[in-house]
Parts: sequence; structure tokens; C-alpha cells
Amino acid sequence: MAFFRACAALLVVLGLWLPGSARGAPAARVSAAFTPERLGAATTVTLGFRLARSGGYFHAPLTGLDFRYPANLGIITSGLGVATCDPAQLEASGAAGCPANSIMGYGTASVRVPFGNEAVPETASIVLVAGPSENGFLRLLACATGLTPVAARIVMPTLLIAGHLQISVPLVPSLPEGPDVDVVSVHVTLGGHLTYYEQVRGRTVAYHPRGVTLPTRCPHGGFRFSAAFSFLGGARAGAQTAVRCPRRR
Amino acid sequence: MRRRGKKSMAAAFGLVLGLATAGPASAAGHVLKIRDEGRLHFIKSSGSQLIDEGRSTGTIPGNVRVRFTYNGNPVVTAQFTIYGRYGTINGRAHGRLSNPTSTSPSLRGSLSITGGSRRYAHVSGSGELFGVFYRRSYGLTVQAIATLRY
Repeated sequence: MAFFRACAALLVVLGLWLPGSARGAPAARVSAAFTPERLGAATTVTLGFRLARSGGYFHAPLTGLDFRYPANLGIITSGLGVATCDPAQLEASGAAGCPANSIMGYGTASVRVPFGNEAVPETASIVLVAGPSENGFLRLLACATGLTPVAARIVMPTLLIAGHLQISVPLVPSLPEGPDVDVVSVHVTLGGHLTYYEQVRGRTVAYHPRGVTLPTRCPHGGFRFSAAFSFLGGARAGAQTAVRCPRRR
Repeated sequence: MRRRGKKSMAAAFGLVLGLATAGPASAAGHVLKIRDEGRLHFIKSSGSQLIDEGRSTGTIPGNVRVRFTYNGNPVVTAQFTIYGRYGTINGRAHGRLSNPTSTSPSLRGSLSITGGSRRYAHVSGSGELFGVFYRRSYGLTVQAIATLRY
């Protein structure tokens, strides 16, 4: 009995330590969707998250995100990102500076730019490109470009490890020496109507990459996704969701 | 004397029957060094798992079916079956992709033979493999150098 009490106490302590229960961290929600939803078929994967303000105040700036997805999802075998983009080139010129075959998807981010006591909303466009690999792991680069009120382009290096998308988020000051921009929500889609090019008998031919393939079997409870968020100052938050099992092809 | 005669006849019959059913190279303790190449094309996929098939040429010519898993780790894994003239050979392999963002990353690794059928029913062995994974067509070209015992 004492053993079970000790275990229960340990679980409570661990629970306090776990990311989702970090006090002071904003409430987080994640979303995931497949279009189309057909087992064994090629699809697009849309991933997103939303961070709520904590107690009416800005939360600490987001510094990192570990997005977990089912490892057997065919992201790596999607045929997306068959060329790489140089991170410096991407930061300087955006997607226009990258090979077409490196583009893996698009998205948007909603941010709040603090000006005094007010917050001005801004929408940034996101492009996902394949970056140079690191130690054999694939590296995605998420490039977010905002125009007004803050014109900025940031490149977020993302490591793609089996079942994990580990994203590092740099801080973006709203004004020189001012507070950092506050990320509210992000939605990105991997795949979609992308056009790639290949050489066939000396000619350049356009084609559409197949995209992410869903497994032919759906795990019990659906395809589970979760995210662990890290904020400046050490606060953490977590959220999870599941995509219900689609119908068979 | 009569009993001994019956026994030797039965042994001789058994030997003849054994040779007839198992083929000329079925003696236990065979060691075969193989060097084969397979050019495999994509058949179907399930998430991060691809199924490729094709012809293998070399020491054990036949058809090959490979279940290839690449989920983001630089080490890819595969299960394969070679359908040869004298039976099937099953095995597992793993290899490291050299440049995963190129259109055709090369891979190098090792393989182990786990079993088979008919002549290769008790086969075992291990070896090296080299290959190329074509990310556009999902095909594979694989060269295997291995030593089989059966």
C-alpha cells in the first residue's frame, strides 16, 4: 500500500514537471488534418497550433516546438524536397531564392506585435523548404515573412526525426530594443499542388510530387499528434490531438 | 545377415530418395559466396514503408521483393525475399543513407539471412549491401555481397 502511495506521489510530482502542466504557460491547442482522408493514398498533411494569452497578458515568446506525428506517416517517402535550399539564400530572398524542387509546403502564421499596451495583429506567410541534411537527418526550413507592421523574414530550422518535427523559433523584436513578437497561431500544409522539374532525355519536364502517403492501417484511436512548446524563461506547454481513422481506399 | 541386408537396402533407398528430392547441392554445410544485384521498381506503399520488386542477377538469379522502411532516421531498414530457382531466401537489412536530400541518396549497410524454403530451408548468412534509393520513382538498386550457409 505504501508502495502505491509512493508511486502516486511520484506521478503527481512528475505531472507538475511535465510540459503541459507548466504553470504560467499559455494554453495551447494543436490541430492536424489530412486532405484527402484515405488510407494508403497520397494526401496533404496540415498541422497547426494556437496559443492563448495567459490572463490577458502576452505570454513569453515561443522559442521552440517539438511536434510529434505518427512515425509511419510517409513524410520522408513523400518525394517532397528533392533539392535543398541554402538557409542564407532563403533568408535573403525567400522562396524565390530556392529551387522549385526544394519547396515542400506553405502556411500562415498569426502574430501579435506589441506597441506600448496595445497589440497589432500581423499575418505572415510561411514556406517550407528542404534544407541541407545534418548527420543524415532531413532538415526542413520554415521561412516566415511578415510585411506590416513589422517587416521581417525569419528562417526556422526544423529537424525531421522519425515522428518528430523539432522547430527552433528565433525571437523577433517588434521595434529595436522593443518586446518580441507574440506568436498566436501557425498552420502549415505539407504537400499540395506543387510543381517540380526533372530532366528527361535532356529536356526539363514538370511533374507533381506524389505527396505524403497515409499508412494502409489506422492505429486504434486514430493518428495521434502532439506538440511540446518551449517559451523564453523556461515555461512549457503541451497539447495533443488525433485525426480519426479515415475510410479505407 | 538377413536383417543387415534389409537395413542396407533401406539406407540405400533413403539416400537415392534424398538425392532425388533435394537436388544436387542439398548437402548440409554448403557455403556459397554470393554477389547479386537487384533493380527494383515501386509496387505500393503504406506510409513510410515502400514495397519494391524486381529481378536479381548474379549468383542466385530470381525475383526479389523488398519491404523498405524509411521514417526519417538516417538508418533505413528492409526485409527482403529472393525467389530463386531452388527456393526462397528471406533476410533483413539495414543501411545508412549518405545524402537523404538528394534525388537518389546512396546507402550502405549490412544484411542477415533469416531463413528460406526448399534447398534454402535452413539457410543462414550475412553480408554487405550497397544501393541507391530513387526518391522520384521510389525504386531501388541494390548490390549484395554475402556468404550463405545451407
